[in-house]
Amino acid sequence: MESGESAEEKTAPASAAQRRAEIRRRKLLMNSEDRMNRIVGFTKIEAETKAGASLRPTEPRFHLDLDRTEWSSSLPRPTPFLPEASGLSSRSHSATPERRGSPLPDSSEPHAGSIEDDIIGVRQRPRGERASDDVGGPPREGLQKYLSRFDDAMKLRGQLANEKATQEGESEPEEFDPFRVFRLVGSILLAIFVRVFVCKYLSIFAPFLTLELAYMGLSKYFPKVEKKTQTTVLTAALLLSGIPSEVINRSMDTYRRMGDVFADLCAYFFTFIISNEILLLIGSETPDGGAGPQ
Amino acid sequence: MAAGYAWFLVLGSVFLCNLMKTLLPSISSFLSKLVQTDAELESEMRAEVQEMKKEQLSISMMDEFARYARLERKINKMTDKLKTHVKSRTGQQAKMKWVVNIAFYILQAALMVSLIWKYYSDPVTVVPSRWIAPVERLVAFPTGVAGGVGITCWLVVCNKVVTLGLYAVS
Repeated sequence: MESGESAEEKTAPASAAQRRAEIRRRKLLMNSEDRMNRIVGFTKIEAETKAGASLRPTEPRFHLDLDRTEWSSSLPRPTPFLPEASGLSSRSHSATPERRGSPLPDSSEPHAGSIEDDIIGVRQRPRGERASDDVGGPPREGLQKYLSRFDDAMKLRGQLANEKATQEGESEPEEFDPFRVFRLVGSILLAIFVRVFVCKYLSIFAPFLTLELAYMGLSKYFPKVEKKTQTTVLTAALLLSGIPSEVINRSMDTYRRMGDVFADLCAYFFTFIISNEILLLIGSETPDGGAGPQ
Repeated sequence: MAAGYAWFLVLGSVFLCNLMKTLLPSISSFLSKLVQTDAELESEMRAEVQEMKKEQLSISMMDEFARYARLERKINKMTDKLKTHVKSRTGQQAKMKWVVNIAFYILQAALMVSLIWKYYSDPVTVVPSRWIAPVERLVAFPTGVAGGVGITCWLVVCNKVVTLGLYAVS
């Protein structure tokens, strides 16, 4: 009897110590939740109002683990070996070792009810705490969004730094793919042809527009050179501001095509004027109509 | 009215400016070499460090630790001196590059402004206006001469063509 009383006295301070440790852990976890809310920018007032509205009947999410462990420490865990454990205690020692060690379904039948009750108990607990998940959702989402944006910004910064280093160290990537060369050569040849044969009859820009339309159709017959999308400060800023990358890529592609058309126009007009001047120099013909030179 | 070879003058100026732009890095490095006086000192220091390192390799650290350590200290001192020297040289080079670039851009701007000032009212060349319809007004800007090619349009066209040409050549 006395030994039993002393054992009880020993276990009492241990459980008190355990309780104090649990209280300390709870306090720490509560502080961490406040800290997280402050990082996310979820103000205390909003938290209190939301907590007042929905949180009172349930506990915050950070306490989920604690409560689960508490609960699990008090109740037996729903393990496959539970029947074995209960079987060992209740059954006789004449049971075979194999039966002892194996989680046989036959042995679990009489204890299925208790296991199911345990599982239902485990499930009920999280259900009660699901409301707290909803409240913790927005700050979590905000934090995750912030972190993902921060990661994107760091990646883009790294990319920009690398691009700058490669641009300074190496030569620029080749822009003259075969189709571009074909376009420029075609524009030059057309300009010469138009100056010699066509310009007397119609505007020089009409054949140019026809040529560009032809190029649009011919572009699919040329091998597509995949141009590496350069990450510039502008594209990085657009990405971080929330514009999808597809939209940016399409816009860049459109601007690139407009640039190609402009380059063709410049080459065409330049060649036309130069050929006109050369012909005037040679003196093969004088321009008719309009304002002549001096 | 339009001068005979105004178009050629503008084309030549644009070509020269773009050529100078491509040669800017070599010009700035050449000028910085001219300005730099103690280039030999750096090469001497490098040679000295190399020699000391060779000597250090021949010494056994276990047998002659004091000598090894003394040499190590000398090498470190000389390396630090060399680093400081290289740092000041690269700073000088960066400054020279900056000065050369600024000077070039000022000269380029002055040239362009003078060309525009000269050919503000005169077209660089004239063609029959129906050839360049319907954009004859845009092409003739700011001269207003029917069928004329204005300085701004010609500058833009020459700049683009010369850039493409120089890029293709390089």
